Amino acid sequence: MSAQAPAPPSPSAGGPPPSDGVPLFYRRGFRRLLQQGLYVAVTGLVFWYVYDALNLREFGFGFLDEPAAFKVGNQWLTDIDGVTENRITMYLVGVWSSLRVVFVAILLSTLVGVLVGVSRLSSNWLVARLAMLYVEIFRNTPLLVQVVLVYAIFLVGAPIIQEVVNIGDFAFISNRGLAIPWPVPSDGLWGVPDWFVGVWVALLLAIGTVAMTIRRSRQNRERETGQPQFANRWAFGIFAVGALVTFIVLGLPVSIDRPYIEGTRYLEGMVIRPEFAALTIGLTLYTGAFNAEIVRGSIQALPTGQTEAANAIGLSGYQRLTLVILPQALRQMIPSITNQYLNVNKNSSLAYAVLYDDLFRVAGIIQNKAGHALEMFFVIIVTYMLISLVISAVMNFINARVTRVGV
Amino acid sequence: MRLPSLRGRRLVSAMLFAGAALVAGAVIGACTSDEDDQQAQATEQQQQQMEQQDQPAAEQQQEQQRAAPRAQDSGEPRGNTIQLVQDRGTLKCGVKQTQPLFGFRDDQGNVTGFDIEFCKAIAAAVLKDADAVEYVDASDASTRFELLADGQIDILIRTTTITSSRDMELDVDFAQTTFYTGQGFAVRKDSGIDSTSDMANASICVQTGTTTEQNVADHFTDIGLDYEPTGGLSQDVAAAFFEGRCDVLTADASDLASRIVVRDDADDYKILPQIISKEPLAPGVRDYDSDWKDVVNWVVHGLIRAEEIGITQANVAAMAADPPNTEVARLLGVPFGDGEVATLGFDVVDAQFIQRAIAAVGNYGEIYDREIGDAIERDCTLNALARPLPSEAVDCGPGEGGIMYALPYR
Repeated sequence: MSAQAPAPPSPSAGGPPPSDGVPLFYRRGFRRLLQQGLYVAVTGLVFWYVYDALNLREFGFGFLDEPAAFKVGNQWLTDIDGVTENRITMYLVGVWSSLRVVFVAILLSTLVGVLVGVSRLSSNWLVARLAMLYVEIFRNTPLLVQVVLVYAIFLVGAPIIQEVVNIGDFAFISNRGLAIPWPVPSDGLWGVPDWFVGVWVALLLAIGTVAMTIRRSRQNRERETGQPQFANRWAFGIFAVGALVTFIVLGLPVSIDRPYIEGTRYLEGMVIRPEFAALTIGLTLYTGAFNAEIVRGSIQALPTGQTEAANAIGLSGYQRLTLVILPQALRQMIPSITNQYLNVNKNSSLAYAVLYDDLFRVAGIIQNKAGHALEMFFVIIVTYMLISLVISAVMNFINARVTRVGV
Repeated sequence: MRLPSLRGRRLVSAMLFAGAALVAGAVIGACTSDEDDQQAQATEQQQQQMEQQDQPAAEQQQEQQRAAPRAQDSGEPRGNTIQLVQDRGTLKCGVKQTQPLFGFRDDQGNVTGFDIEFCKAIAAAVLKDADAVEYVDASDASTRFELLADGQIDILIRTTTITSSRDMELDVDFAQTTFYTGQGFAVRKDSGIDSTSDMANASICVQTGTTTEQNVADHFTDIGLDYEPTGGLSQDVAAAFFEGRCDVLTADASDLASRIVVRDDADDYKILPQIISKEPLAPGVRDYDSDWKDVVNWVVHGLIRAEEIGITQANVAAMAADPPNTEVARLLGVPFGDGEVATLGFDVVDAQFIQRAIAAVGNYGEIYDREIGDAIERDCTLNALARPLPSEAVDCGPGEGGIMYALPYR
């Protein structure tokens, strides 16, 4: 390389004679200028090339403000009709669908992770081996395969709507989904459902605050005196009594909406669609396996003295786990588990394979109709990034709290 | 200041060399940007075009993304495909290989289907050998027009819809439509659904296409009904529909037919006669090659005319030996009585080209019966002959019952 490179200019060649005998090329100032200049030139050229080749003169987001003219399925709590709404609204419907999957999958995969991770360390041979089997199966097969498989199992395994399984007119199972009763706001004292629910929630919050305050003071007294004060029982009792009184005085803020079938369609109630279920379960099982390994690793990273000390002071197995082991292991876990949560967010785009209208698919429909692929992908990337950043922020907050507490 | 060490000098030299290479690359890139300008124009056109409908609705969106820009905008004649084909001795026919009924490659590697028959007919007409066809896989919708523009195929016969924007913006000219279809609906026979007006609150599996979703949404808005969509890729939504996830599957009617016909329980399903979009499927040739387009056009018309006047694969030889009237003689390129052979004005092919095409594949009706048969109803559809002629038709409203069919503007 150096043999082919241009020879450095000789000290006498051109330019003002260097004052201290150092050739211009080797002066620090010149060198810095040259480097900066080259950087600016090359970067500029690259940007210009991209701008020109991609025809970014057309770049703009105006197309998102036009009527969508398509429908989006798998909506929950919303029934937004794309025929009358704008594309951006329908995109947000897709974002909401993605968020639901991510939220539920994160919760469930954490639960699975803790249960399986602890089970892997169980002294019960069967439990430990079953947990290991689960981890090895779901950690070593592609997520796409799992999601599609779960969806296929729902489609083929569940009965068709004409042969729906009716559980006491209460819930229905078919491959159109699981329909269950669902609370809806009911008319309250003043006949306005939203207000009524609001009053209820406000009252419950107030009672909850009182209960938590009492719990805190009892905990403090327990710490000072060493006498058991049953703080949790007190708090729960106060809350339960408060809620009961509110119910007796005001009545229920919600009524239970039971599903029924008309023709081939579920009406009322709440329907968990197979697409949502397949994606969520797939993500849960896959991520749960990784979480289990993180939980197991974090527990095993604790000095064995902790377990021995817990045994020595006579804690039960459950107490040992919840009071000694898990709180300490949590500090190890959170950074790794945060990564898994971010993966859940990104992997939710596999909705594409199971007919679930997540943000990526809705964006695809918009792009099909409107073109503007670059802008659409820009929006998609920014959306996923924002969700990830929010997850990171929440997890960093939790991490800060957990590590602050002294052991 | 210290002089840099030898090692430092080498590093500097290497950096300089790399910098020079980068600049050189950028300059070369800038110099070749003439091509990019053309591509940029093409991209611009494609974006406008993608705002419109595209399709057969079943296909994916980006097909024009990579389609080559128009090679010449001057309108000069370019290329002479018919000469090229005759010199080569084979016809390179771009076909779909994944859609039963229209273009499908089976386990043994045989390519069959409705579109394939037209490849054979054209080969028979131009090369005097119906088997002198090389079937090039044009299953990928996104590259099909590029294959044609690049000259990798001589003709594209692949369930391709004629649209105004394709015709005007891409390097493709369309010949006579061989099959008329549109976005339709498939249902189970026992569902009790006979038209979209029976689909109130139905669960509908929507095959992702460029405007499939919009067509169905528009239609249901027009008829004032609600439905519940489940959308996705072609094979995924079809699978979900056949498992009973949806009451209705919507896509191109021809696509629906090919999804259903390959199933063992095909008899349990039906395709509604109702069509909510226009998809005329036609062979495509390159722009500015009118001799070639003429031949393709008149082979298709010849096969349809043969059905109209009763010339079949079985009787074509007898008809040619003893033509019953002057038109049959003209069509088959044989003398009537003591007269001369009429060439129909074609100087690039001999007079018997239609005769050979009919002998190879039969007339249009025979092709339809052989390749599609009952899978897609033909009677009383646009794919049937224009009979009764408008003058004989009954029960027609004002301006109805004719054969005027505008190609879709999109």
